Amino acid sequence: MAAAPVTLEATDIQGLLASGYGRLRAAVYLMYQVSDAAAARDWLGRTLAPALTNAAAPVTTVATNVAISASGLERLGVAAADLSTFPAEFIDGMASPHRSRMLGDVGASAPRHWRWGGSRQRVDLLLMLFALDAAGLDRHRKALTPASGAGLSQVVELGTFDLGDHEPFGFRDGISQPAVEGLRSTTKAALPRDLVQPGEFVLGYPNEYATLPPSPSVAGSPDFGRNGSYLVFRQLHQDVAGFWNFAAREAAAAGLASPEQLAARMVGRWPGGAPLVRSPEEDTPELATFNDFAYHHDDATGLRCPIGAHVRRANPRDSLDPRPGSQQAVALVRRHRILRRGREYGPALGDPTTGPRPPLTDDGQDRGLHFICLNANLVRQFEFVQGTWVASPKFAGLYDDADPLLGVHEPVGGTFTIPGTPFRHRLQGLPRFVTAVGGEYFFLPGIRGVKRLGELT
Amino acid sequence: MTVVAPLREGRLDEARAMLEEAGKDPAANALIPFAGVEGVHYARLFLVEPAIDLKGRPIPAQLVFMADFDAPAQPRLERLVARSAAGWTRLLACCEGFTSSGGTDAGACLAFVRRQAGGDAAYYVNTVGLGAAQAVAEARLRDAIEDRLDAQPDLLKASPAGVRDKIRDWIQSSDELSWAISPPAPPSLGWRLGELAHLVLVALGALVLLPLAIVLLPFWLLALRLHERSDPAPDVLPDPHHAATLAALEDHGPVNQFTAIGFLKPGPFRAFTARLILFLIAYGVRHVFNRANLAGVKTIHFARWTFIDGGRRVIFASNYDGSVESYMDDFIDKVGWGLNAVFSNGLGYPPTQWLLWGGAHHELAFKHYLRVHQVPTQVWYAAYPSLSALNIANNAAIRLGVSGSTEAGRWLQRL
Repeated sequence: MAAAPVTLEATDIQGLLASGYGRLRAAVYLMYQVSDAAAARDWLGRTLAPALTNAAAPVTTVATNVAISASGLERLGVAAADLSTFPAEFIDGMASPHRSRMLGDVGASAPRHWRWGGSRQRVDLLLMLFALDAAGLDRHRKALTPASGAGLSQVVELGTFDLGDHEPFGFRDGISQPAVEGLRSTTKAALPRDLVQPGEFVLGYPNEYATLPPSPSVAGSPDFGRNGSYLVFRQLHQDVAGFWNFAAREAAAAGLASPEQLAARMVGRWPGGAPLVRSPEEDTPELATFNDFAYHHDDATGLRCPIGAHVRRANPRDSLDPRPGSQQAVALVRRHRILRRGREYGPALGDPTTGPRPPLTDDGQDRGLHFICLNANLVRQFEFVQGTWVASPKFAGLYDDADPLLGVHEPVGGTFTIPGTPFRHRLQGLPRFVTAVGGEYFFLPGIRGVKRLGELT
Repeated sequence: MTVVAPLREGRLDEARAMLEEAGKDPAANALIPFAGVEGVHYARLFLVEPAIDLKGRPIPAQLVFMADFDAPAQPRLERLVARSAAGWTRLLACCEGFTSSGGTDAGACLAFVRRQAGGDAAYYVNTVGLGAAQAVAEARLRDAIEDRLDAQPDLLKASPAGVRDKIRDWIQSSDELSWAISPPAPPSLGWRLGELAHLVLVALGALVLLPLAIVLLPFWLLALRLHERSDPAPDVLPDPHHAATLAALEDHGPVNQFTAIGFLKPGPFRAFTARLILFLIAYGVRHVFNRANLAGVKTIHFARWTFIDGGRRVIFASNYDGSVESYMDDFIDKVGWGLNAVFSNGLGYPPTQWLLWGGAHHELAFKHYLRVHQVPTQVWYAAYPSLSALNIANNAAIRLGVSGSTEAGRWLQRL
């Protein structure tokens, strides 16, 4: 979409929008309930707001960001009339029954089993702290953790584990990200296809429909939302042993020579990162971060990368109807992009040099992904990607193929189809590999917005 | 088939309770079980709440029945009413003008339903001529072939043509599947001639009226712009309780229902324009968009626009694949111009320019408009709830390819 370049108020935008702080290898997510609104506001406005990392600041040794859920806004004293200016999906939260059906939070992933979020354990405020290393993070926590008199009580502490560029299943992650027009840290070396209008991620700027996303108002500040974003947090437990042992057990039935061959087809990239569309037979280190490919153009029938593969449905690139391969198809996908900012948790399973490979014995440790994404419209972006592309067994004309990694596979959706000649291989009865164990929607205010919350009376 | 009947004073809650109970199990409920009625694709029963029209006149609550029947519809309707006459009698007893002989009265129900039945202003069918039984049978065929491929790994060593030959031989020798060897019966010659006659005669009629239309066009355009500039278009947010009621009915499977109702904008210009556009849409979907593709949208099974209340209001009802959000996004991204042409005649629609532009492209205002006007579909029946429109089209192509001329390799890619 051709639009005049916009300048973002980077100093008022929280830094997480500009960067995942990759060089800060240690991080912790702390969740709180507001126990004393006045004290919490005071802490927010006086202590935290000045310490927040903005999107213009260079990432040096530590970073600090904060996000607040709908219940948090309410408990901090945002009036009901103001709260109703936030989108309904944010107010409802992630765990409403309809949302659970759509997002695939059913069965073992149902919110009634969650450790936090939903109705299980209310979460009002999310504090995200980053540092160069564990020692730095300790110091950073001591400096910024709200004191006992700050009106906040901690309900969950979510640690992270630095697996380098890989996620717990052992695949390189975070290769393909949208670039936010006007935020230089995200647009460096970005492909034109990935350039997205800032209003898809930051309130107060034009979006892909060339309109301003609605901005919620708080206490006489009609533009409270400006420079803010909606933050999705999902704690996703990963059954790494289950995944690789399944790949080992089923590879032969899928006509494949090794567990890696099958696992890569389920993911759509090799563990090293090379996309199957470009490197269908083997992992190619030179293509580890290669991203300049399309699906319809390079592999319309899915003979290289199956239609149902995780990355092909999480970002279908040029492959959607009505005119696959066209600029129109690419533009449609631009309206459903999310900025991913999550981190892994739990120690690696298996040999750390090769990554996890079968046979594996589950060590009983909890591990997975703290999935975090940012977007301006939770329904059109995160929920659409998760519901219509990832969770739906009907994606792109499929019949019963939910996402092989993330999807719900019972009672329907447990098929994985691998196109081939003369005909496909079909795996059925996929087990569950990923289980949601917590989640909530948050608002990531602009820094002035955080101060305003602190000034509420 | 659309049946609209006003409710008797004070019977709304009773009717609602009946429908909500039936809606828990549309296929096999005690009131009107839909399962097993041949030739029904989808059916719905819902209530339109009492309203006040734009001139302040009250409109009573109404019961609406809509069904997507295979042609001919009448015998199927008869069977549907006859086999659950007791339920129909109980339900229709809530309606104004329904009289039964006391006790279950299938004849009275059928007569009443026929009397209250009206035509749709426009009716989209994903694939004209594809029957409900055919959709179900072809899905079974596809499942059987898939299972056969899984069970015969030796086939992997064959050539594509060899695989298809083996599959075809197997189908031919199967008592349950041999029907699939021949293509579905083509529509009757009479029907095809009728469609051709309609295609030609309407086009000729348009040709005859063309000079008049050219003369009137500038005046119509002027009136259009004047209306577009002055029509109020407030962005009204859906009430959270209403939205929750709608959401509770959605995403229980891959196919969803949508029912919305709204007033036309006042005055003769919008009344005329709405009818003209719906006439064009009816013509377009009958002769052009009748093959699994509505101007780029391939996820709609059936859709209809129906005038009610003497043309004061319009009902839009459809069956579609995926979530309501993806449905609305499809509207905006693919057929926004077409929706603008129709819905911009509806009160409260986001502002359009030259009928086709703007409107749906005010993304959130458009989504709010649809959600505000949507009504709960208390009873919604789907004969093949696990099949997407793309699945049905693919199954039909698989069946044709069993003995057809499609290249074997391409045919196998459909599996």
